[in-house]
Amino acid sequence: MNPVNYIIPVIFSLMVAVFLQLMPSTGSWLLWKPNFLLLMVIAWILYIPNQYGIGFASVVGLFADALFRTPLGHYVLVFALCGAIAYLLSRWLTYFSMFHRAFLVFVLVIFGELVGAALFSIWDIPKNLSHLHILGFTSAITWVLVDRFVARIQLHHR
Amino acid sequence: MAFGLMTLDAYTTWLSPIHNVVDHLVRPFHWLSNIPDRVLEWGEVNTEPRSDIQKENARLKQESLIHRGQLQRMSELAAENLRLRQLLNATELLMDSVLVTEVIGVSPNPQSHTVTIDRGSDDGVYVGQPILDAEGLMGQIVSVYDSHSVALLITDSSHALPVQVLRNGVRSIAEGTSDYNLMRLRFVSPTSDIREGDQMVSSGLGGRFPVGYPVGTVTSITQKPGERFVDVEVDPSAELDRSRHLLLVFTVGETDSNGALR
Repeated sequence: MNPVNYIIPVIFSLMVAVFLQLMPSTGSWLLWKPNFLLLMVIAWILYIPNQYGIGFASVVGLFADALFRTPLGHYVLVFALCGAIAYLLSRWLTYFSMFHRAFLVFVLVIFGELVGAALFSIWDIPKNLSHLHILGFTSAITWVLVDRFVARIQLHHR
Repeated sequence: MAFGLMTLDAYTTWLSPIHNVVDHLVRPFHWLSNIPDRVLEWGEVNTEPRSDIQKENARLKQESLIHRGQLQRMSELAAENLRLRQLLNATELLMDSVLVTEVIGVSPNPQSHTVTIDRGSDDGVYVGQPILDAEGLMGQIVSVYDSHSVALLITDSSHALPVQVLRNGVRSIAEGTSDYNLMRLRFVSPTSDIREGDQMVSSGLGGRFPVGYPVGTVTSITQKPGERFVDVEVDPSAELDRSRHLLLVFTVGETDSNGALR
């Protein structure tokens, strides 16, 4: 039996993530805004690890670099590392509750931000990390919606 | 691979075509993501009660009258200033003209303070061109495409601009801090005559920014023990995270193929 091809739903969900990412926000919301692209990548890796893995995360990271106007390779590394952790844990996470998945996302987002800050420091660009826990928290809350969204798309497409 | 890409991108221009292509691809997304804001703006304009509009109209008329009066006095002062400069054989001040533009996108990365505007090389926009909002200096153009451009804001951590205190002309360099409400002055001596509340304006040194545009207000001056320089914090005048309509500044002699709205 051929595996179901999820290319169209994946592209659609990534387009939704780009749309949300680019939506203008002001003040503190800018710092608390989750990285929707990273959340979407983690979601697809957790749901379909046999089709979407580290390579997929790297390609989306390359697109994120162009979107965020960071040096190409910056988000490739961040997404690939976060994607690798999600991929390694994907088999266990299938049996985990939503709360535990959200907690993993909280940890992954903080890890990703720390890796990003370390990379920025190479170019002598300071990064404010004081908002990190709030960003992790907003990402974990958003994750609940992203998880449901991807689950529904997957179910609909099957 | 990631480190190789980062090094190539940071030290060469080989990957800039990729940035250009993606910038064109992403433009429709910028337009789409602005729809909620536009709908909100449209709703605010179209659902405002008639009495409020009339009140606002009356207030604007009054403000316009006051500003026109002030402008007359300004023109007189400008003429007098020009005459005095001519007497001193000093260089004539350049008159600036402006082009109205609108923000169509903001950087999704909170550490990178850039905005995308709806004017490009077709309108005569060039790299290094200063942009303003109604309150003060916002930044400068860093990439120009056919019909849109990307501007780096003065609060970006990689940005610095020469400034001077309006009160006494003390010069310094204002640096961005990746915070929309904070800039810092570099290398300010403890004996410098800078006070809290001082208005900072562009000094025009370096030739990139025209002289005399408001940059910000000094909010705090602190000296840490053992430090040679004082830490001066400046609150930017421009509404960097809010303004939608901006002005591109052209100084006399610079190229302008369109000349719209001058």
